[in-house]
Amino acid sequence: MRVNPDPMPDLLAALSQTELEEQQAELQISTGKSVNVPSDNPTAAALLVENNDQATFTSGYLQSISSVQGQLSTASSTLSSVSSALQQALSLGVEAANDTVNASDQAAIVVQLQAIQSQLVSLANTTYEGNYIFAGTATNTAPYVVNPNDPSGSGVTYNGNTDVNQVAIGNGYNLTVNVPGSQLFSANGNSVFLAINNLIQAVQNNSGIGTAVNAVSAASSYLSAQTVFYGNATDQTQSETTYLNAAQLQISQQQNTLGGVDMAAAATNLSQAQTDSQAALAAIGKLSQDSLFNFLT
Amino acid sequence: MSGLYGTLSIALSSLSVSQEEMETTSNNVANANTPGYSREVPDVTTGDPVEIGSLSVGTGVVLQKIESLRDPMLLIQINQATQQNSSLNSALTQLQQIQTQFASDSSGIGADISNFFNSLQQLSSDPSDPTLRQGVLTAADTLATDFNTTAQNLKTQSGNIDQNVVQSVAQVNSLTSQIASVDEQISNLQSVNKDPGSLVDQQNNLIQQLSGLIDVQVIPSGQGITLATSNGTTLVSGSQSYALTTAASGGVQHIFSGSQDITGSLTGGSLAGLIQVRDQEIPSISSSLDQLAAGLATSVNAANNEGYNLYGTKPAGNLFVPPPANGVGAAATLTVATTDPSVISASSDGTTGSNGNLANLLAVATTALANGQTPIDSYSTLVGEVGSATSNTSADADSSGLILQQLQDQNGSVSGVSLNEEASNLIEYQNAYQAAAHVVSTINLLLLDAVNLGLDAAEE
Repeated sequence: MRVNPDPMPDLLAALSQTELEEQQAELQISTGKSVNVPSDNPTAAALLVENNDQATFTSGYLQSISSVQGQLSTASSTLSSVSSALQQALSLGVEAANDTVNASDQAAIVVQLQAIQSQLVSLANTTYEGNYIFAGTATNTAPYVVNPNDPSGSGVTYNGNTDVNQVAIGNGYNLTVNVPGSQLFSANGNSVFLAINNLIQAVQNNSGIGTAVNAVSAASSYLSAQTVFYGNATDQTQSETTYLNAAQLQISQQQNTLGGVDMAAAATNLSQAQTDSQAALAAIGKLSQDSLFNFLT
Repeated sequence: MSGLYGTLSIALSSLSVSQEEMETTSNNVANANTPGYSREVPDVTTGDPVEIGSLSVGTGVVLQKIESLRDPMLLIQINQATQQNSSLNSALTQLQQIQTQFASDSSGIGADISNFFNSLQQLSSDPSDPTLRQGVLTAADTLATDFNTTAQNLKTQSGNIDQNVVQSVAQVNSLTSQIASVDEQISNLQSVNKDPGSLVDQQNNLIQQLSGLIDVQVIPSGQGITLATSNGTTLVSGSQSYALTTAASGGVQHIFSGSQDITGSLTGGSLAGLIQVRDQEIPSISSSLDQLAAGLATSVNAANNEGYNLYGTKPAGNLFVPPPANGVGAAATLTVATTDPSVISASSDGTTGSNGNLANLLAVATTALANGQTPIDSYSTLVGEVGSATSNTSADADSSGLILQQLQDQNGSVSGVSLNEEASNLIEYQNAYQAAAHVVSTINLLLLDAVNLGLDAAEE
């Protein structure tokens, strides 16, 4: 059977193939990826787009949580201070109710109570990164202004609103991040400002101090109950952080599974491809240049 | 003629036949590397015998013809395989270029979409912050720019293919005209009963080159060769070639035979591959991008207009310039509509601190567009499709390349020149020549003796 006398095209084709495999192995090692273009693995390439999206969102949620935790912690510590101030007011009130106290002592107590009242307004107007945190969503104006003529009799006017913001801290997981001042400090029937203002007037008039003190106490308890919100919200952000960190790890592992290269295997492939390439070159090189013509005398 | 002169003429016939055989060998050796050359084999038979009395006497050797060894069936198969292989390879080259637009998962349109929605997510914890707002506009701008660039690159590639098409058609015309002129030479020889020999090889080689460009079939006919595409467009008829022309149609170059547009009917050769990518793959990808860009822009604008901007106005305004109504060209023209970060509508109640409308904007990421998929799913599907088209074409090109190689090997085994064979033939012809020459010189001596027969006797 006669064979093709010219083996060169086949040999060159084989050589070209080994060179291609070499290049491919080198590319994978240098990029660390097994999917460098979509045709390397179309399904994986598509999934890697989704994976990157998940990674972006996950780290985005973690960033949002960090920002939210700042707001929550500021609010929480402010309310702590409010609570301390109210405790101070209570002691002053109890003192004022005492029969042994005289008019000038009472006057002194009034001054201290007024200072506490002023402090409360200032605390209620706390800002975090330029935004008033107890104003509902009207965060660019101070929620409370001193107004002795306010019809509520609380001595302050609330200029904020009652809207709340939610921030997504996970897929479909929305966290409410604020409580409006009106709900915290000037709620109907449980207003801290009203109670303080009434206490001041009671001491000034030396009448109904006991009732006023009870009202302050009740308002203080109510406020404490409200602050539970912040503790809960912070807890939620912390457990979500744990979950998101684990998710991030999984997403990163999945990215590696889909498109990463096992370096040891890739190095072996490269070495094999180089060997194949050398062998093909050697085979072509050894191709006999002789034909029968060389041996005719 | 019998006698010594008869013997001489037999020896002379051997000399001349050996000489012609050696010429054939020499021609084969000279053309060992000529593309398309089929080795020639001398067809030698014994001369008709002559009856002398009861004896049958031979009259030497006769060279009937010099035959080119070729397998026409193989050549047809090789042409078909060449058309298939060229088409796949030219399509593959284009597809490989296209897919570089979609190569990275951490950058490019997909990552831009993720980053845009993330910038809105970050805004939600401090909706009036100017830096975060600017971040949203910047992310939107990056997204729009990448859409524009990708669309533009596809368009440029389409333009390059156009140039390629024009050049290839010019090459087709050049080849068909050469084929026609060779055919004329072949016909002229055949009409005087001469063997056209290697002219046929030349013609076959030209036809094979033509197969690399366009699908072409050889249709047997009485007068010369007829070449036509598979849909019947005649390219060569005998010594007449019919040139193809190119003209712009619908923004791309179309191929015409006379007034008939044959662009869509080509099935092989590099032209078919180029046209398939230019007229099917690229428009399909462009259309998907357009639908994605248009859908995103429209949905984002609608969501933005559901709320209040930082000036307290509702509807807040558009973030993207509204795309064309049917989406055509949306990717190339997608632009951010404003440089004012205050236009972004975070607020659902008109206050600067409300983030309620961001939920509407963020919902665009997880809501199906008109094509039935969310924005990121649309993009990942597109990436998968581009990758599949490329890898399938690559696999097909590899296997068609193997088939072509095998056919060419078979052809080589029939028609290829083996230097070893030619060398051994040369030895045989040389020996035959030497032997015949020896016979001639022997007869020469005998003739001398015969002529001098009477002389010797007379001298005694």
